Amino acid sequence: MTAGNVFFALCAIVSLVGALVTVVARNPIRGAVGLLSTIVGMAGLFLMLKAQFLAAIQLIVYAGAVVVLFVFVIMLLGPDAGAVSGQPPKARFSRVVGVLAAIAASAFGLLLLAETSAAVRLPQTRPDHGSVEAVGGLIFRKGLFLFELATVLLIVAVIGAIAVARGGRPARRATPTKDEGRRLFAGPLHPRDAGRPLGKEGV
Amino acid sequence: MLGLQTIFPATDFKLLLVIVLLPLIGAIVNGVFGRRLGKEAVTLMALFAVGVSFLASVVAFAMLAGAQTDGGRAVRFVWRGWEWFEIAGRDGLSRLPIEMALSVDALSGTMALIVTGVGFLIHLYSTKYMETDPGYHRFFAYLNLFIFSMLVLILGDNLPVLFVGWEGVGLCSYLLIGFWYDDDKNASAGKKAFITNRVGDFGLLVAMGLLVYYAGALDWTSLDTARQNLLQPVKLWPVGTHVPVAEVLPEAAREWVNTPRYVSAATLVGLALFLGCAGKSAQIPLYVWLPDAMAGPTPVSALIHAATMVTAGVYLVARMAGVFVLSPAAMFTVAIVGAATALFAATIALVQNDIKKVLAYSTVSQLGYMFLGVGVGAFVAGFFHVLTHAFFKACLFLGAGSVIHAMHARIHDTDASQDMRNMGGLKSFMPITFATFAVSWAAIVAVPFASGFFSKDEILCKAFTSSVALPVEGGALGAGPARIELFQWPSWGPGVLYAMGVTAAVLTAFYMTRLVIGTFLGEFRGWNIVEGWKPAHSAAHGHEAAHPVEPSELETHASAGSPVADPHAADDHHHHEPYVPGEPIDGPRPHESPWQMTLPLVVLGALALFAGFLNAHPLHITPLEHWLAPVFSAAEANVAVREDAQALMWPLMVPGILALVGGGGVAVWMYLMKGGAPAVELAERFPRLYRLVFDKWRIDELYDETVIGAIDALAEFGVAFDKYVVDGIVSRFTSFVVAASGTVLRQFQTGRLQAYACVMVIGLGGIGWYLLLPHANATVAADAARGSYELKASPGFGYSYRWDSNGDGTWDAESFGQQQTLNVDLEVEEKRTVRLQVKNALGRVATEDFVIERPKPDRSRVAGPPTRIRIEHGPDGQVRGVPDGAQGGQRQLFPSPGRPPAPAPGGQEAAQ
Amino acid sequence: MEPLGYVIEHYVALSGVLFTIGAVGFLARSNVLVQLMSIELMLNAVNLMLVAYNRVHGDVMSGQMFAFFIIAVAAAEAAVGLAIVLSFYRLKSTVNSDAADNLRH
Repeated sequence: MTAGNVFFALCAIVSLVGALVTVVARNPIRGAVGLLSTIVGMAGLFLMLKAQFLAAIQLIVYAGAVVVLFVFVIMLLGPDAGAVSGQPPKARFSRVVGVLAAIAASAFGLLLLAETSAAVRLPQTRPDHGSVEAVGGLIFRKGLFLFELATVLLIVAVIGAIAVARGGRPARRATPTKDEGRRLFAGPLHPRDAGRPLGKEGV
Repeated sequence: MLGLQTIFPATDFKLLLVIVLLPLIGAIVNGVFGRRLGKEAVTLMALFAVGVSFLASVVAFAMLAGAQTDGGRAVRFVWRGWEWFEIAGRDGLSRLPIEMALSVDALSGTMALIVTGVGFLIHLYSTKYMETDPGYHRFFAYLNLFIFSMLVLILGDNLPVLFVGWEGVGLCSYLLIGFWYDDDKNASAGKKAFITNRVGDFGLLVAMGLLVYYAGALDWTSLDTARQNLLQPVKLWPVGTHVPVAEVLPEAAREWVNTPRYVSAATLVGLALFLGCAGKSAQIPLYVWLPDAMAGPTPVSALIHAATMVTAGVYLVARMAGVFVLSPAAMFTVAIVGAATALFAATIALVQNDIKKVLAYSTVSQLGYMFLGVGVGAFVAGFFHVLTHAFFKACLFLGAGSVIHAMHARIHDTDASQDMRNMGGLKSFMPITFATFAVSWAAIVAVPFASGFFSKDEILCKAFTSSVALPVEGGALGAGPARIELFQWPSWGPGVLYAMGVTAAVLTAFYMTRLVIGTFLGEFRGWNIVEGWKPAHSAAHGHEAAHPVEPSELETHASAGSPVADPHAADDHHHHEPYVPGEPIDGPRPHESPWQMTLPLVVLGALALFAGFLNAHPLHITPLEHWLAPVFSAAEANVAVREDAQALMWPLMVPGILALVGGGGVAVWMYLMKGGAPAVELAERFPRLYRLVFDKWRIDELYDETVIGAIDALAEFGVAFDKYVVDGIVSRFTSFVVAASGTVLRQFQTGRLQAYACVMVIGLGGIGWYLLLPHANATVAADAARGSYELKASPGFGYSYRWDSNGDGTWDAESFGQQQTLNVDLEVEEKRTVRLQVKNALGRVATEDFVIERPKPDRSRVAGPPTRIRIEHGPDGQVRGVPDGAQGGQRQLFPSPGRPPAPAPGGQEAAQ
Repeated sequence: MEPLGYVIEHYVALSGVLFTIGAVGFLARSNVLVQLMSIELMLNAVNLMLVAYNRVHGDVMSGQMFAFFIIAVAAAEAAVGLAIVLSFYRLKSTVNSDAADNLRH
């Protein structure tokens, strides 16, 4: 029972519990915390696998940005963020089938895994395995084009997020009633309707 | 005459073209340009066409008479046009050319005279009768077209050309019956005529086919000799060698069913031809169209349904006399059906009130007489009756038209103006019409020395004394199972036929006398005659002078049997003064018809009176028989006459005269003396029988229920099949399948992301399953000639392979390697099982067996020179092929160009 | 039991379980936010697998590079996805994904 075993067990348990909480919790904030837990656990596992640079990136980007973004959005939505229960979900059948299929697939995979012969210990690695220099060198040599593309992707994502989330009509109340929701989407649905009033409020 | 003979030689008799084509030209001109040409031009064209055709017929007749020598062969002038088409003969090799050719001999020459002569008179009559009809030019176009078709029928040199004319007259009959087609009744009558004719035409076509097959000839000249071939047996039953159903029947029935039955081809041809005649000449069972055909204008009834078209059937029988006499069975059928029709139609005519209907049934009855005549072998007598009937029946019909024309001055309703009950006493108003009508009456009831007397009497006499028999040894044809017992003319035949004829004569006398009395004698029952009567409302309207007569009014108004002579009569249409029977009305004095109508009446009347002397047997004045003798001499060889025929001639006339006296006397007593009261009493005492006879024995209704009902049922079935099965399957089923699959597939289009993701997961699972498990496949590349086979294993993720190449169950190598291809060499006919084991990255293993076999080499195609055949002429003159294996390949079967063929010892090169 | 965490199979198994939990969460939950978080879970699981195999075949760092890019793309995707959630909320005033059925027949 070395430190490595314990550390692995700890990180694995943290990840699993976090995942379960994410998926099961009613309250989305609890779900976000669960996600955070999973990410932190994953970072630990990366450290076990000698991917220190990636662990750092994981924490910075995922835990520091993505989860924060989730929390912000949950905050924006307010109490409605978790108000999905009340009526039973539609399409019970397809949900059940999907869940069962997913479980069956992974069980199959795990069984296959279990049937393999005696496991081999992880081999020795080179000393700079997982270092910033190694990964960065690869990225900026072999994956330079991909890196630039990823940059473009991020810019496009930023612009797209702004465009989609803006909606065109500023300063709206965050808790509209149901039939006001339709009119909330102010702005013409189609460029051809530009300039024409949409309902009583107009644009 | 000599000059004529040079212009028109006997083998290229172009005069026939003049006779036939002039009416066609008239029809085309009148039909296409008639409306523009105007009435006078149309009249001139039509009369000219038929008139010149008549003159040309006279010339042809004279030339024939000049060329015919006494006792010589029948003279026939032929014009050969061109070859129309070719039929393959019976053996499949010979070809029978069918030519477009016209010919005239004694029989067709006489017939052509009748057609064109009577046709001309009726054309003249129609110029006045149809004067006010807006379709005047169309009428004459159709009439000319009819004359053309009838002439093609008569003057055709072979059966196909005759058939062209046959169909043509059927067409013209349809066009002319339905001339006033606005009225549905007329159009239906036209259709009925055409369709009933078509049923008969089927028989004619079958006969033509049989003639081609068994006799191998279709034109008159060839048939004279080829008809002997018709005396062969034809197997009617069973079709094939045996009847499969008979297996389940008991012994006796099976014997009966499987016994082959034969008839002679001549009988089949005769019966088929007679079916055609029954259709065209209105015999039982296809007579039903003729009474309805009275819906057409009266000149049409006179020309087509009295004088010419309906006699085409008799003409056909006379033309094919040589074929008919080869089958006594067919002849007897013709005679019996003719006699039955004569009797049957006469019974219906007894109670009809419409004068045209009486004459129509009278026509059917007289046609029955004609068939009775030709059926017993008295071809001349039958044809003579055609001649006299043409004259007196045309005269009767034209007279009826004249009467209807007079009635139309006041009564415009079709049925009322033709109803005998509204007539009477017209003798004093229409003397010429009455005189000619009376003369024709005398002819039809066979008053002695009128034409009908001689013709009808001769038929009855011949029916009693003649019989048809084939002079064949043993009274049978053929031998063995195909032996046909020849039909023997039954001994009761002559007596029964004679009795039926006499009975029909009694009825004829009765109804014709009734007709004359009802129409012309007694008191006028139509309306109160007011001198100087004018249509009542003309004073009230006061604008009749300026009132234009609309053609449309005239046309709808003229849907009756005669046109409107009074221009103001159109106002009646507006005035709505319907004729109510029973209510006395006022009207003008009935008037006689103009000369264009009375002249033909007079000419026909005179012919009806005196034409009998063309063949007055009792007086031994028989130019017609003499004239037609060469045509029928061959046929009459098979007609047996009783030895005492000559002696019986006078006694056999007596029942005929008694029939006239009896029938006519009863009619006179009943109608003239007692004013029709006994008839009414009889009708009241047997109301159902009277109703039945009045309704023409309800034969039309019977046909409607059975034949037409069957066809309707078939059509209904077809409609239902189309609607439910075809539409059901093609449109509804396919649309159902599409809709159902759409309904099923639509369940996937929920619009919800998770449902789509679910499907994706399932798909991914499948792919993952396939990828995670190893699959052992190999393709086999075979080179059978050298026996080396290459197996190439299919690659996969992380696969490693292990082979067992010699099939002994142990692996070649214990560990898994990367060897993907394996080469195996096999001996001939060796079979080996090669095993492949595959392990993938996850360590799972899969095994597959491959069986490869090297087959035996294929020696079926021999590499070597082919066997040669040598043609030898044997000593007995036969030619046979001898395999030429001994000698080598120097000799060639087909000499190559430029090299002479090498000589063969004892043999010859093949010619083909 | 083999040394926990020193055999590749443990990481593969854990990755599989996490992925399954993420997939089930995505399919079973109707809250759009939870669905997005489940997607992040799945991406993380894949990252783990990649890095684990890179540990085994360590001569080139391509596994970690791949994971790096996955993290970048996942961030972008989360941003855009949340923007869409906001739009969706404005339109339907709910975050129930069952309401997003405009494509339904």
